[in-house]
Amino acid sequence: MSTSSGSSSSQSPPTMASISDVSALFQTAKKYEELNVIGTGAYGTVYKARDLHNGGQIVAMKKVKVALTEDGIPLSTLREIALLRQLEAYRHPNIVRLLDVCHGGQSSERDHQLVLFLVFEHVEQDLDSFLKRAPGPLSENRIRSMSYDILSGVDFLHSHRIVHRDLKPHNLLVTSNGRVKLADFGLAKTYDTEMKLTSVVVTLWYRPPEVLLGLSYNTAVDVWSAGAVLAQLHTRTPLLPASCDSEQLHAIFRLIGRPPREEWPAGVCIMAESFPDYPPKDLASVLPRVHPHALDLIKGMLVFDPAKRLTALDCLEHPYFTEEPLN
Amino acid sequence: MPYWYYDKKDLQNTPSFRDGIPTETENRYRKEGARFIIDTGSKMDLGYNTVATGVVYFHRFYMFQSFRTFPRYITACCCLFLAGKVEETPKKCKDIIKVAKSLLTEEKFSSFGEDPKEEVMTLERILLQTIKFDLQVEHPYGYLLKYAKCLKGDKAKLPKMVQMAWTFVNDSLCTTLCLQWEPEVIAVALLFLAGKLSKFEVADWNGRSAKHTAWWDMFVEDITMELLEDICHQVLDLYSPQTQPSGSDSPPVASSTKLPKNDKSSVTPPTSASPVIVPAKPAVTPLKNGAELKPELAKMDMRFTYPGYPGLPPYPAVYTAPPPVLPAHPPPPLVYAEPPPAPPGARFPPVNVPPPNFFPPLGKRPPPPRAPLPPRPYYPPP
Repeated sequence: MSTSSGSSSSQSPPTMASISDVSALFQTAKKYEELNVIGTGAYGTVYKARDLHNGGQIVAMKKVKVALTEDGIPLSTLREIALLRQLEAYRHPNIVRLLDVCHGGQSSERDHQLVLFLVFEHVEQDLDSFLKRAPGPLSENRIRSMSYDILSGVDFLHSHRIVHRDLKPHNLLVTSNGRVKLADFGLAKTYDTEMKLTSVVVTLWYRPPEVLLGLSYNTAVDVWSAGAVLAQLHTRTPLLPASCDSEQLHAIFRLIGRPPREEWPAGVCIMAESFPDYPPKDLASVLPRVHPHALDLIKGMLVFDPAKRLTALDCLEHPYFTEEPLN
Repeated sequence: MPYWYYDKKDLQNTPSFRDGIPTETENRYRKEGARFIIDTGSKMDLGYNTVATGVVYFHRFYMFQSFRTFPRYITACCCLFLAGKVEETPKKCKDIIKVAKSLLTEEKFSSFGEDPKEEVMTLERILLQTIKFDLQVEHPYGYLLKYAKCLKGDKAKLPKMVQMAWTFVNDSLCTTLCLQWEPEVIAVALLFLAGKLSKFEVADWNGRSAKHTAWWDMFVEDITMELLEDICHQVLDLYSPQTQPSGSDSPPVASSTKLPKNDKSSVTPPTSASPVIVPAKPAVTPLKNGAELKPELAKMDMRFTYPGYPGLPPYPAVYTAPPPVLPAHPPPPLVYAEPPPAPPGARFPPVNVPPPNFFPPLGKRPPPPRAPLPPRPYYPPP
């Protein structure tokens, strides 16, 4: 049993005049020692830190600023934290462990902000650096097992009604024994309120067309992103690199073909005709020497219409994973 | 990850206890705090789930903090406030405070300080840190219904039995059971208790297999009769006179409270913890302190309305049997006055339902063995 700050066991405190007097004791949880910044994203900074209460175990600490409302911490943030905590009970092997949540107190009475710390297990590298450091192509089996890990994690989130929304190699972590774990999900609504304040560029390479076109979206967005990542496992280079929204759409249509006008979704302000009538490319030409099963799977994930895209569960049951021969 | 279950020894050695508050007093504070959350929540039409979540936060909070540092009623308010947000039934902080003020004596409300809303907001952050942001809480209610649906027996008695078990679950919030056992275990025990008291014989159950010696084996492994009895006794003790408090108020508040006059003569009936909800009866009697028991208060949101699954007659929403035997005294005051010291030898008016000494008195028994739930692995690795 460990109290959060060790400050509660003081002997016979005098009558407390007000909660505020006591609250100072709880503001800084001196439990973690920040070591260095691992990354700065649109949503906050991630530090490598030492857990002083647990034998100096190294953790990844994510700092998220939450705007306080008139009624304290926003409901959406509380819901999201509750959900993250609840997911933790399953200890899914492809989801990064959430070890602790704490807050750093209100930074000042005037700015009405609360700094939240989400403490995760520290995993040495992400898929991005893993692929960059790989000396040569990954083995078929390695690719298949990593693909399965990613899709298992996505399916797990989807079965708990969580949409990751930002799946990319940067937030897929690779453990020392080569397993992949999903990170950085589940705070979408919390981020949304904060995102407007930041101007960090977010990568578009894994964004599905419905998001780029400003349509409503669902779990299928993650399948698209996972498809782009799976392709990257084979080639070790991004499948659809582009530098702005419109270029990204062009890149997508150059690969999968521009959908015919009758399939163009209603309610999009961009017209189908804004794009040349790209014909679909043969995926095998883009991903040479890739097993037909793998190509078929990726093709099913990179389908324009979210409703026709495979689900994560469909993917896990794809012959690529269920049939034996692979070479 | 935090682990929220404690054995009886841990439950004694709490921060409040180390702070010089006797266990009985702490248990009374816990009970009053829980009761207050239930009453406030009911008055605000919050569902049983939100209320129960708030109470669990409250009990967990005081496993790490002392009642001397944090007065119980403001903590209770904050727990309800937070539970409202987490369960997506939010209530404005100022509205909760308003209701709290109406339920508390002026003296008790003074613990809310000069700026009650600001105090609750500050406390929210302390509460979150203390309960380690572990916000999602499960309750026995869902399990209770799930288990009851499997039981086969006298169909006419089943709804009554479920209703009684439901009420026991409500009342169990006033104990520390949620700090001892998983909701599944509590659901089994209180369904068992209600079954005994309403003489519902479990003739058979759906999903029975050869290795089951009792219906609950199907849901939770290794539940012993001793454990069931222990849990039932903890709930039944709520209705017994010994547990009625006679003691000082919470430490920070000066203790010589003048009691309202009508309290002197009467003995507070354990309505608060009665398995029979006593809604309709006292509704009209005006109280001496001017407050009137409004019907809204009687309309307990905690009450379970039987969903009426196929094959069962529709169950009336209001629980009628067994009838409460109410004392001839005026109803308990609406305001949370300090409970009166029990007159020597006073007996509480008999409450019809519980303890017909169904179980032999608990002697010195070894603590029941912990029946850990099996871990919940998710997917088998590929």
